[in-house]
Amino acid sequence: MATTYTPQPTGSGLKANVQRVGAHLAGMVMPNIGAFIAWGLITALFIDTGWLPNKELAELVDPMVKVLLPVLIGYTGGRMVHDQRGAVVGAVATMGVVVGSEVPMFLGAMIIGPLAAYLMKLFDDLIQDRVRPGFEMLVDNFSAGILGMLMAVAGMKAIGPVVRTFTDAAGNGVDWLIEHDIMPLASVLIEPAKVLFLNNAINHGVLSPLGVQQAAEAGKSIMFMLETNPGPGLGVLLAYLFFGPRRLRATAPAAIIIQFFGGIHEIYFPYILMKPRMILAAIAGGATGVAIFLATDAGLVAPPAPGSIFAYVAQTPKDGWFGVYAGVLASAAVSFAVGSALLGFGKLAEERTGGETDGDGAEAASDKTADDDRAARTG
Amino acid sequence: MAAINGKDIHKLIVACDAGMGSSVMLAAQLRKELKKFPVEVSHTPVASIPADADIVVTHSELATRARQAAPGIPVVPFEVFIGDPAVKRLVTIIKEGGDLDV
Repeated sequence: MATTYTPQPTGSGLKANVQRVGAHLAGMVMPNIGAFIAWGLITALFIDTGWLPNKELAELVDPMVKVLLPVLIGYTGGRMVHDQRGAVVGAVATMGVVVGSEVPMFLGAMIIGPLAAYLMKLFDDLIQDRVRPGFEMLVDNFSAGILGMLMAVAGMKAIGPVVRTFTDAAGNGVDWLIEHDIMPLASVLIEPAKVLFLNNAINHGVLSPLGVQQAAEAGKSIMFMLETNPGPGLGVLLAYLFFGPRRLRATAPAAIIIQFFGGIHEIYFPYILMKPRMILAAIAGGATGVAIFLATDAGLVAPPAPGSIFAYVAQTPKDGWFGVYAGVLASAAVSFAVGSALLGFGKLAEERTGGETDGDGAEAASDKTADDDRAARTG
Repeated sequence: MAAINGKDIHKLIVACDAGMGSSVMLAAQLRKELKKFPVEVSHTPVASIPADADIVVTHSELATRARQAAPGIPVVPFEVFIGDPAVKRLVTIIKEGGDLDV
């Protein structure tokens, strides 16, 4: 039965490293998604153009996005490096980049939070075993307090301005891509990276922070939809449902529910990894979606996380329904059409071609029995 | 290649990139399947697998990182999230005993 096991991954050191760096970035944002959603809901409801305009409640919007969210990111980033003490100095240091900044300082928080925590860790390691008994608490509290103060000042005077330059440049870069109508090409990079499990890194590490910045100014952002659009995955799974290898067809309905409604996109990555050419379907669908989002000036008010259609509904601005859902549906339709063609409308599905991944996937698939089908339905 | 016996597995970790999405789903499925057996099933990010885990289940794309993050702990990589043969075989040896090459 050893053949049913996947081989040891080889030569993927670079991929693992990229994944790891990305996981650090995403790891600062993802535990705080609940706060992003709270902010998104408050924005969608209470701003002037919202569902229930309310001047008093709308005052929550600005401090939450400019202070609360970056501080949470800095706190979490600090905690990843040096537990609670790192979290505390990370949060204090983040205040340095937050105060006096016109835009939400997510990038700044992602840098200064872990940096402050790392310095705290260095200090703690240095003085360990050198503190007189009974003075530990005094030393611990004041070292964190003094370092926090210094980092907050450094953040305000040094790191903040530098990061602001970078943030502005990134924002301008995005504007340039939008103005020159080449944004849909982003899907050529995003979709393949996504199925290599860089999805969180790309979305929460890069796109969400840029998007929040745009949304704070414009009330919505297309950046939230580049990676999270559930349409391309839906199209790929539908193609498998109708034209995939016979044994995989039974698993597709459950996968569709988990992906499109539950928002766990990981469920469809294996369907692409086992037939790598199917990535073309995801790219075509993704690019179609982005093109329609651009043409209709669509955007979401906050990150839809997880990338479920329900999260989309919750974060769609009141006047933006048409563009968002036209884009999602069209991307599903296009990736379904391309995916079906790539599967030869059923004729090419069973053939074993391509690289190692292709063969393994087909093998794994053909080992399935009625038990798997039952598992798929109950799962 | 080491072998682990199903009866020796008491702490099973399902790991994914963030430890918040797919791993939670698969862990819930396995927990349900293994309810009657003395196995604790939990989910974590692939970067913070607890050192006292007996076995780690993760997608093959993440297996390299799992092995680096948890040296010495056997890793069972799988390909598909629903009805993967590798996962199924693991469940079988936990239920009925027997060795698993990892």
